[in-house]
Amino acid sequence: MKNLNSVFEAYLIGWGVFFLFYVSIAKRTSDLRAEVERLKNALPRGK
Amino acid sequence: MGKRIVLGAVAILLVIAAAYASFYVAPEERTMGVLQRIFYFHVASAWAGMDAFLLCFIANLLYVWKRDQKYDWLGVSSAEVGLVLTTVVLITGPIWAKPAWGIYWTWDARLTSTFVLWLLYVSYLLLRTLIEEPERRALLSALFGIFAFIDVPLVFFSIRWWRTQHPAPVIMGGPGSGLDPTMNKVFLFSVLAMHVLAAFLIVERYMLEKMRSEVDTLRREAEAQ
Amino acid sequence: MSLLSNTAILLDKELRTEFRSRELLTTTAVFILIVLVLFSFAINPGTEEARQFAPGLLWLAILFASSLMFQSCFLREQTNDTLSSLRLAVSDPFAIFLAKLIANTLFLLLTELMMLPFFAIFYNIPLWSKLPVLILVLFVGSLGISIAGTAISAISAQARMRELLLPLLLLPLLTPVLVVSSLVTASLLDREPIVQWKGIGFLAVFDLIFLTALWLFGEYLLEE
Repeated sequence: MKNLNSVFEAYLIGWGVFFLFYVSIAKRTSDLRAEVERLKNALPRGK
Repeated sequence: MGKRIVLGAVAILLVIAAAYASFYVAPEERTMGVLQRIFYFHVASAWAGMDAFLLCFIANLLYVWKRDQKYDWLGVSSAEVGLVLTTVVLITGPIWAKPAWGIYWTWDARLTSTFVLWLLYVSYLLLRTLIEEPERRALLSALFGIFAFIDVPLVFFSIRWWRTQHPAPVIMGGPGSGLDPTMNKVFLFSVLAMHVLAAFLIVERYMLEKMRSEVDTLRREAEAQ
Repeated sequence: MSLLSNTAILLDKELRTEFRSRELLTTTAVFILIVLVLFSFAINPGTEEARQFAPGLLWLAILFASSLMFQSCFLREQTNDTLSSLRLAVSDPFAIFLAKLIANTLFLLLTELMMLPFFAIFYNIPLWSKLPVLILVLFVGSLGISIAGTAISAISAQARMRELLLPLLLLPLLTPVLVVSSLVTASLLDREPIVQWKGIGFLAVFDLIFLTALWLFGEYLLEE
């Protein structure tokens, strides 16, 4: 069972990277949603 | 929306199942022992990453040909996901190499060309941030993507023929190079799982890019008024 | 045939513009000289190992110099706003690229030849007897650099931060040229010189592939 740590490290870091990427997509999406709201509010006022 | 959740759930289940299979189903490799189990994760990510870049290349070609925004969105999404997958390859590679060969990094053809590939697509994404006008950004980045992908085999063979001093490690020879049948099955299953995960991430990223482009149009309209 | 005659006219224009001032040639040559001198401070050039990696340093210097040299390639047209009239004047936009890349190869080769004596002296490498093959290697290598560089400078000229962007896009693309030409040059300048025809052939294949890609996609690079 030598080197088992390295195997776990590899899997955990790998999954961590995928997870972080997914979080970054979700973050960017929610930022965009906020932006849409802001624009919606700004549009009628501009008219 | 529902379909995307299902795809995500399937991807997560498959990735967990692949991890289970590589720990409990695949037999222990004789010389490397438990360490070899990284192989299923590492090489599957590499294959999925390569296919994501292939998809990016196809999307780039289609954009230049058809000039449909959709292909631009697909291009950036698959490039980003491919980059994430190759990042995983570049992280898990050294974790494996250190106990196996005693060094973190060998300038072996596969590892090095993966790194150059990674750099090329970082440049691709960077280029996109530096062009304002959407159509010009789409066209020029598509063209750079085409040049970058054409470069990949040249990078690989130049390093393989002129740079690698040691023969490539046997274990990384891919399927068919002395892999036991069960190992082969587990490996192919891991490849499948990683492709489904990549597909899920590409779809998510694609929807984000689509929304971003819509918001961009909206913003332009708001500013015009 | 209009492609060739167009190219010839444009090439004549490129060469005349450059040889009137010789700005590009002198600055690039001086840049390579500076890099070679700095490299010799960073390593110990008298040693036997230096023979091994000096050719790599030479190619690295050429690569950096080229990424500076190609900056002005399309930028000059853009600041003078001549690109659109140029496009109207030629029947095939590939002629524009062909003229520019031939000019770039020529300029690069000229600066390399100017710098070769300094390289030989600084790093203590006799190269007189191998000059013909060395020039061939320099030619196929520089042609590859110029083809990719001309294409990329057309892209970077249309973006922000273009001075930084050009090397960023170009240098990773040129990895194969750097790897192969350094090794071919190193084995050529070795104590027991070998001419690696396979490497020279590989560089020629690189040139051909990128030339074909430029021929196929070049016109889109210049779209308004």
